[in-house]
Amino acid sequence: MHEISLVQGLFHQLEKLARENNGDKIISVTMEIGPLSGIVIDSFRFGFDVLSADNDLIRGAELIIEVPPATYTCVQCGHKETTSDSRPDKCIKCGDLFLIPTGGEDLILNRIEME
Amino acid sequence: MCDTCGCPNPSHHTHDHDHTHSRTIDVHTSLFAANDALAKANREHFDDSGIVALNLISSPGSGKTTLLEHTIDALKNKISIGVIEGDIETEKDAERIRAKGVPVIQLTTGGACHLDATMTHKGFHRLEKEDGGKSIDLLFIENVGNLVCPSTFDLGEHERVVLVSVPEGPDKPAKYPKAFISSQTFVVTKTDLLPYFDFSVAEATGDALHLNPRLRTMDLSSTTGEGMDIWLNYLLELVDKMKKNGNRKL
Repeated sequence: MHEISLVQGLFHQLEKLARENNGDKIISVTMEIGPLSGIVIDSFRFGFDVLSADNDLIRGAELIIEVPPATYTCVQCGHKETTSDSRPDKCIKCGDLFLIPTGGEDLILNRIEME
Repeated sequence: MCDTCGCPNPSHHTHDHDHTHSRTIDVHTSLFAANDALAKANREHFDDSGIVALNLISSPGSGKTTLLEHTIDALKNKISIGVIEGDIETEKDAERIRAKGVPVIQLTTGGACHLDATMTHKGFHRLEKEDGGKSIDLLFIENVGNLVCPSTFDLGEHERVVLVSVPEGPDKPAKYPKAFISSQTFVVTKTDLLPYFDFSVAEATGDALHLNPRLRTMDLSSTTGEGMDIWLNYLLELVDKMKKNGNRKL
């Protein structure tokens, strides 16, 4: 459950951004969570719900999650498959089982809406 | 100007219709950015000091500390080893390593399921104050026993080593892919127990290579010594490479 500590880190950022922009209520938070970031989206949502209930600035804010794609390169034929779905089992071009993943590892705070 | 009602100064108007004056702020900041920046600084510090740093990740009880004890016994006359132990509670692992006569400090996370770059930074400076802590060639950072969360946090290590013991079963790479995707080396431990468990080394390493074709794989038993030579050579090669390259990155 490292998602809880990541949500805590997010809340520190939201508090700082609210102070800098004279906001006193966060309406929505848009996050980008890569399919290879090691973050379980349900756990992140759970952490957000639990921690925001105790936070006057963030309580009731909508959490919007976007999942960007990762690219899987076949070691055999070099074909690159880009998808935000789960990892392909094999190369769709040559059927080889060995694919090198790149990208899709980050956790990004994209946008916030506040008033 | 208020987009909804058109009044010139939204913060001062008091009419009571139902709308808010929200604004959207584009941020585009990685939540890992702070940790990654500090991890990079840690790595540069290790490079400048000529230290090879390894981050050991596994489930609880897969034999990380036992492997370290046997590694220290085998290599302590050849190179200087230092250890940062990460656990949720207790000094038990550090005491086991201290008994081997090498500098060690224990980080207790007090509940957190992983180490991060800040803890590693503080831990390393504590380690430098220990006897022998200023002349380390090879630093082991033994992460909290957990195959999930530690794989998300760069500590500033040069290489990440993931371990799975025979009693845990060969399906760990398939079930916990991130740890194997983010590592450079995969070690199967406790191979002396292979006769008693339904564990296929080929299946475990095959699944791990499926996830990460560049992974270096090895299997060993710390207690019988079987396969230890490959592990020890791997460590000595890393130290050798660091010494040859001076303070350049491995």
